[in-house]
Amino acid sequence: MYTPTTTSTRGRVRLNVGGRVFETTSATLASAGRDTMLGAMVDASWNSGVHDDPAEYFIDRDPCCFAVLLDLLRTGDLHVPPGLPEATLYREALYYGLLGRVRSARLGDFDPDRLRLASSVHGRSPGDGVAIRAAPDGGCCVSHGGASGVVRVYNWMLQERRPVYHPAHAPVNDAAYLDASTLLLAARERPGRRDDDGGVSSFSALTGETRHRFRVAHDRQPRSFTATALAFDGGCDVFASCKGRINEYGVAVWDCNTGEQADFFYEPPGCALGEADRLQWLEETNTLMVATMFPRTDSSFVTLLDFREKSVVWSWSDVGTPASIEDKHAVDAVAMEDGRSLCVVNQYDDLGFLDLRKNASGVRWRSRSKLAMSDGKTKKAACGEEACYPKLAAHGGRLFASTGDAISVFSGADHVMTSTLRCSNGGAICDFSIGGDRLFALHGEENVFDVWETPPPPII
Amino acid sequence: MSGGGPTRKRNFKIEAFKHRVELDPKYAERTWKVLEHAIHEIYNHNASGLSFEELYRSAYNMVLHKYGEKLYDGLQNTMTSRLKEISKSIETAQGGLFLEELNARWMDHNKALQMIRDILMYMDRTYVPTAHRTPVHELGLNLWRDHIIHSPMIHSRLLDTLLDLIDRERMGEVINRGLMRSITKMLMDLGPAVYQDDFEKPFLEVSASFYSGESQEFIECCDCGNYLKKAERRLNEEMERVSHYLDAGSEAKITSVVEKEMIANHMHRLVHMENSGLVNMLVDDKYEDLGRMYALFRRVPDGLSTIRDVMTSYLRETGKQLVTDPERLKDPVEFVQRLLNEKDKHDKIISVAFGNDKTFQNALNSSFEFFINLNNRSPEFISLYVDDKLRKGLKGATEEDVEVILDKVMMLFRYLQEKDVFEKYYKQHLAKRLLSGKTVSDDAERSMIVKLKTECGYQFTSKLEGMFTDMKTSQDTMQDFYAKKSEELGDGPTLDVHILTTGSWPTQPSPPCNLPTEILTVCEKFRSYYLGTHNGRRLTWQTNMGTADIKATFGKGQKHELNVSTYQMCVLMLFNNADGLTYKDIERDTEIPASDLKRCLQSLACVKGKNVLRKEPMSKDISEDDTFYFNDKFTSKLVKVKIGTVVAQKESEPEKQETRQRVEEDRKPQIEAAIVRIMKSRRVLDHNSIVAEVTKQLQARFLPNPVVIKKRIESLIEREFLERDKVDRKLYRYLA
Repeated sequence: MYTPTTTSTRGRVRLNVGGRVFETTSATLASAGRDTMLGAMVDASWNSGVHDDPAEYFIDRDPCCFAVLLDLLRTGDLHVPPGLPEATLYREALYYGLLGRVRSARLGDFDPDRLRLASSVHGRSPGDGVAIRAAPDGGCCVSHGGASGVVRVYNWMLQERRPVYHPAHAPVNDAAYLDASTLLLAARERPGRRDDDGGVSSFSALTGETRHRFRVAHDRQPRSFTATALAFDGGCDVFASCKGRINEYGVAVWDCNTGEQADFFYEPPGCALGEADRLQWLEETNTLMVATMFPRTDSSFVTLLDFREKSVVWSWSDVGTPASIEDKHAVDAVAMEDGRSLCVVNQYDDLGFLDLRKNASGVRWRSRSKLAMSDGKTKKAACGEEACYPKLAAHGGRLFASTGDAISVFSGADHVMTSTLRCSNGGAICDFSIGGDRLFALHGEENVFDVWETPPPPII
Repeated sequence: MSGGGPTRKRNFKIEAFKHRVELDPKYAERTWKVLEHAIHEIYNHNASGLSFEELYRSAYNMVLHKYGEKLYDGLQNTMTSRLKEISKSIETAQGGLFLEELNARWMDHNKALQMIRDILMYMDRTYVPTAHRTPVHELGLNLWRDHIIHSPMIHSRLLDTLLDLIDRERMGEVINRGLMRSITKMLMDLGPAVYQDDFEKPFLEVSASFYSGESQEFIECCDCGNYLKKAERRLNEEMERVSHYLDAGSEAKITSVVEKEMIANHMHRLVHMENSGLVNMLVDDKYEDLGRMYALFRRVPDGLSTIRDVMTSYLRETGKQLVTDPERLKDPVEFVQRLLNEKDKHDKIISVAFGNDKTFQNALNSSFEFFINLNNRSPEFISLYVDDKLRKGLKGATEEDVEVILDKVMMLFRYLQEKDVFEKYYKQHLAKRLLSGKTVSDDAERSMIVKLKTECGYQFTSKLEGMFTDMKTSQDTMQDFYAKKSEELGDGPTLDVHILTTGSWPTQPSPPCNLPTEILTVCEKFRSYYLGTHNGRRLTWQTNMGTADIKATFGKGQKHELNVSTYQMCVLMLFNNADGLTYKDIERDTEIPASDLKRCLQSLACVKGKNVLRKEPMSKDISEDDTFYFNDKFTSKLVKVKIGTVVAQKESEPEKQETRQRVEEDRKPQIEAAIVRIMKSRRVLDHNSIVAEVTKQLQARFLPNPVVIKKRIESLIEREFLERDKVDRKLYRYLA
């Protein structure tokens, strides 16, 4: 049997990686893309004078990791054999320019009903975490309370980067990722400091360097102010709820590229804008939701602002609600992604809904729709833990609510509970965030956060 | 606690430091030399001897060992020096070879840049983002921009060459479009700002002055149609140019230059151009030219409104001539037909040339509304046109044709402000058609009524529909009458009665004349039959209407059947007993009102071929001293002779006045009703608001005159429906 060698070896490539020989095709290597080391290596522009058949290359790298990566290129599947440290694999992937591929093979598309606990990361900060934010690329940052004003930043490999400090270590109230490499922080001003303390700044998430300080000027003089919550729109505007020393309460707007102040929306009577707990940009209606909740204030306020007309387009408050109804207070609010309704939660974990298309409507509380199981509640009471108020998030058409040490997922138009995520150590969840195909849950104690991921779907 | 963070940070650094092996500084220098050599070899097209893997690893090692900055700066310097050399070789290229050399060098640079980027990929991924440097590819483009495109020896030469080539192409030469395409693409690759500042902006300026000159030249020597053709061609050429070798973003800009220079700046001159402007195009139905004008003008601000304004004023002017020309008023049917033709003509222009533009349709409609109402006889004429069509015009026409014509008439009807006047006339004409049995098609009649009903509502047509009902019941009643009373009646004359409900029909009360005894008997029998079956009703004979068929025998025994009106019948019957009668005799015996009698006698005695009576003395007009004789010598080829009444189809002046009068009378209660309706709901209102609301409520039927409204308000105050406010005299209050 003679097979013409020309056809059998066409496109074949022999690689000697650190002494181990691999045979593959140039098509497999080219599939990595022209902007990767392997893709460039087999590209015609680097092989004009070479006519070996099969082509041979020597690569001075570790063969075990290469085997994993070649397997990834062949199958699209990332299989890491036991004993191979992830960090080593990531390092090698970076050498070949395949880190992006590894990431997307590692993290399946976010599916709230198939989440698995991927890891728990213990922090090293002295204070407890107060807020966690997911980065668009799968990394995250954890803001720590206390006087340090430090924000720990993790890349998607959960390796800790250089931490970010707000100028002069002002305590951080809220954080937001403008994009994978830009972090916004809102900080508190401290009494007795110079003017121009606290406020909002943007940082490089990669290096921790300050990019811009977003200043609020009154009478052309930059003033100290406390920023309590942050948001940004699809364009280039950054919003922050601001409280100045001389009653400058309201929402400030900046251009995120230049750092210039673009607008200031003063708090009208009957609305609480200056010390909000949550700002949320509603793309559907081009409005900004400002939610100021109990217990920061005695009553809860939710307001929708339209900056094009500089007007309040919708508002709700539980001021004047009869106190007899078990002293319930909305403690968090989130607008659903369609921009048509708003979900609130009270300190007893009841969910309620408001219609954003009608003004002056009341909350439709879901009758006794306990998020947590009854045992969760009794446990909380029994252990006498410091209670964490529930938090809400809307993502991919689902509603998420943290209650005690668990996060519940609600699906469909009627918000039926479809999943519960719980990791027992670390105590109650004080904050959680979804982004970059991951869900991060920060525990109120122990300085630990959980990372939930969707595994790649089964092949058949 | 606040010190915890920084301490840890320091620890971290030390920890990492321990693993690093400090490298021999010469190693970095040596490695860079290898890479620098490779970069030169790549530019020299000599890359086949290079090992990619080795170079990649070298660059990796430099970055890994913190020599990223050295690597980056080295790259920048090496590339800069290479580009300076390239710049010199491009500068020395002669004439036409300049662009080709530039393009070839650009291709080389691109390829080299790609390969350099391949080698330095690791640096691009790790060092560049953290050190905030420009990525390698972008760096290569920026250096090309700064050292080649912006080099003083190349910059203006490149621009001049490009603009010169484009100018030559505009003059009809063939140029190398592929090369142009590559060069403009290069400028785009260097960044939209480079393309815009270094090429597009000057290109637009040069184009503007080119087209400003050319349009001036064209407008002096071309007529409007030809000018538009040239402008269109130029516009298409520019769009084609963009699609072939400019960036797509330039299309809107260059077309707006052409639009401004060739169209917007000459818009008014074009539209009003003598002998070939818009009005001439409209007159001559030049669909193609009009379509072109529309397509071009819509591209510029105020373009369409310019066309529309000229078209509107032309329409109003011609329309006004049409409706006020006394010649045209002589024939109402022709008058309406002309309006319809005019409408058809412009409808077609709008649909063919103006793409059924709604604003043009509105302009057409408002123009028609404007001039149709200039002539207050338009409602009458339109009704007459319908009358003509439903009488005879539609004979042989299919149902669809009828519908088409009626729809067109309805269109004109919509323009009328005085719809109630139309209703008055329509009622009269319909009554005549129905009573004389002249309607061609019952379906067509009803279809017209339905159209009026959908347009104006039930109220508008209820009386018209009542007339149809009367006709039907009359028929049934007559059948019943003859079925029950046939023996009683014997051989007397046959009677056919139309029982008309008072109020539904446009009857003028006129004293009944004396009917011949033969007829009177039958009439009395019918009266007793009818009143016997219907209690509490009153029958009045309308002898001014109706027809009669009578048999007459003339000299030589010639027999004819005469179809005459009731009055004529009464007159003729007198001659059964007398050969000659004076006017006075006839008037006394029949008691027909003088004006009707004169008309009636005129038609019996003075119309050639139908003169069954002879008048002495012979003359055209009837005077009270005339004597009439039975015309024994009357002959006719026909057995049946229809003797018409001499009657103007169109209303005479006094009749017109009378109709007007009646319309005005009818409007009064309608206006009052509207005022009361409004005041009942609003209680207090000022004068101007009332006038506005009344006008709004009634405009479907007619346009009330404010003076009349004021009179009605005064009358209502007198009758204590309203009162004036005691303080503000302009306010009215409703009195419940």
